Amino acid sequence: MSQHAHYRAAHPLIFVFTHYVNLISMIGLAFTGFFIHYPFFVWSMGLARSIHFMLMFILIINLTARIILSFWVKDALLLGSNVVDTDIKNWLPQKENKHQFLETVKYYLFLRKEHVISGKYGSLQKTAYLATIPITYAMAYTGFALYGPAQHWALAPFFNAGTAAVGGLMAMRMIHYFGMWIIIVFTMVHAYLANIHGIAPTKIMFAWVETKPEGH
Amino acid sequence: MAQGVRDGIYDLLAARGVSRRDFVKYCGSVAALLGLSEMYAPQIVSAVEAGAKLKPTVWLDMGLCTGCTESLAQVDTPDVASIVLDLLSVNYMETIMAAAGTQAEEARTKTIADGGYVLVVEGAIMTGEGGNTLRIAGKTGLEILKEAAGKADAIICVGSCAVDGGWVNAAPNPAGGKGVLDVMPELKAKTINLPTCPVNPEWIVAMVVDVLLLGKLPAMDDKNRPTLIFGSTIHDNCPRRGHFENGEFVEAFGTEAEVKQWCLYKMGCKGPQTMTNCPSVRWNRRASWCVESGSPCIGCGHVYTNWVDASAPFLSRMTDVNLPGLGGVRPETVGTVVGAAAAAGLLVHGIASAATGRTSGPPMETEKAWDKKHKASKGGDN
Repeated sequence: MSQHAHYRAAHPLIFVFTHYVNLISMIGLAFTGFFIHYPFFVWSMGLARSIHFMLMFILIINLTARIILSFWVKDALLLGSNVVDTDIKNWLPQKENKHQFLETVKYYLFLRKEHVISGKYGSLQKTAYLATIPITYAMAYTGFALYGPAQHWALAPFFNAGTAAVGGLMAMRMIHYFGMWIIIVFTMVHAYLANIHGIAPTKIMFAWVETKPEGH
Repeated sequence: MAQGVRDGIYDLLAARGVSRRDFVKYCGSVAALLGLSEMYAPQIVSAVEAGAKLKPTVWLDMGLCTGCTESLAQVDTPDVASIVLDLLSVNYMETIMAAAGTQAEEARTKTIADGGYVLVVEGAIMTGEGGNTLRIAGKTGLEILKEAAGKADAIICVGSCAVDGGWVNAAPNPAGGKGVLDVMPELKAKTINLPTCPVNPEWIVAMVVDVLLLGKLPAMDDKNRPTLIFGSTIHDNCPRRGHFENGEFVEAFGTEAEVKQWCLYKMGCKGPQTMTNCPSVRWNRRASWCVESGSPCIGCGHVYTNWVDASAPFLSRMTDVNLPGLGGVRPETVGTVVGAAAAAGLLVHGIASAATGRTSGPPMETEKAWDKKHKASKGGDN
């Protein structure tokens, strides 16, 4: 088999946009986050913190909007298809996914030769993408909790309760720090696996350029 | 109030060379510490005057280094704070009492029997070896605490050891040092926790005024810490905060940056995660405090977990991660190794994928493995 087809029908322009927003804010958050953790060059801490906050709000609003949009926007549920349905159906567990998760893992561990049948997203892919949602919200929560002591706002008890539950601000800081490493590793694996069979996914997600299957 | 009592306290003040004016000014600063406006200073003055009737106090020395007593006792010149503290009639305190042996123990048992006293606990409650890691006059520390706690009007835990075990509780804690509320949670309603190592005497003054004289417990957080003292971070009130915002950091001791008193964030300062009012109240008769004297905050006001375990190594931004078989590892090392391992893994996977011809498109299964297997076992037609 050759390269999958990647049509615009599978990746509507609005999701190309939200993907860009995700990528840019995550790079910015990782950079400013590392800087706040240990200022490795002379720059304004206030500026780093402000950018970190601004990007966090953008990321969270973008993620929330992306989730809401998935109930409205229609796109293709299969690669190489122009038949569309509501995007959320790409994400919810489906009975077709049953038994395919382990097979997918086996494929990537070279324990089987053939790639597995899947919808637009494989079951491993679906699981990883869905996991980014709670992780992203958790990063915002832990970040607010770290900043919480400086704030006397109405939501402070909501964040302070979390700080108490994990054992104080040092533990919260380390959770926030390791959460960032989880996102970095996810991004590396995501970029790698998305493009392992060619850069068609990058072309559609960044330039919105379609790739037709060979022979067409 | 009897004129005699009022005169009594001013005689006491005069004997120590403190004018009434100084005293009223001091009461104004106590008002500020309690979060009250200076308008309350006269009320505090009369409360202190009225309180000149001594309040019996039992001071228990548990598993401790006596640092908190030192902190309190280091008065080079008699000042107004010491006069407020003199209102506590300390009937029993091993470190400073003249009595010894049976006579000393009698002072404790009599004060406890009479009731209506303040119990101050310094040091950790030792629970190791059945509590026998601390024995005083034939009794374990826990037994003494149980005797003394019941009839006390209020319990003030001074220093981190009494609050949650402090240094004594730090891993591996073979002697089983714990805080007062860890071993007797039923005392929560009348306990005030004053963590830090050692305790700041100014806070004890504030508590004496607040509890004993104004007659109420202060507003406290979930760990029984007065919120006015432990309600904001050191970082937010730090005199070096400006250098932090400007990105001006001390990177090593003995450098010009240190002389210029730049921010100690990179030297592992725990100010951003430690909630005490040290920068505003300061220590040693308001002379200075850790950061002002050039040391990064080591987070002794941390609660929820042991402050030593949560803050060590003191000169690092974050504490070490304990990994099985490896011991303490820097979080930065863990993160970098995980990231590098993932990158290396992907590189190897990429090479293997290219070598097996997968990168140009792998063969696709025509039927799911599970379906194939189960159809076969059910005797399906393929």
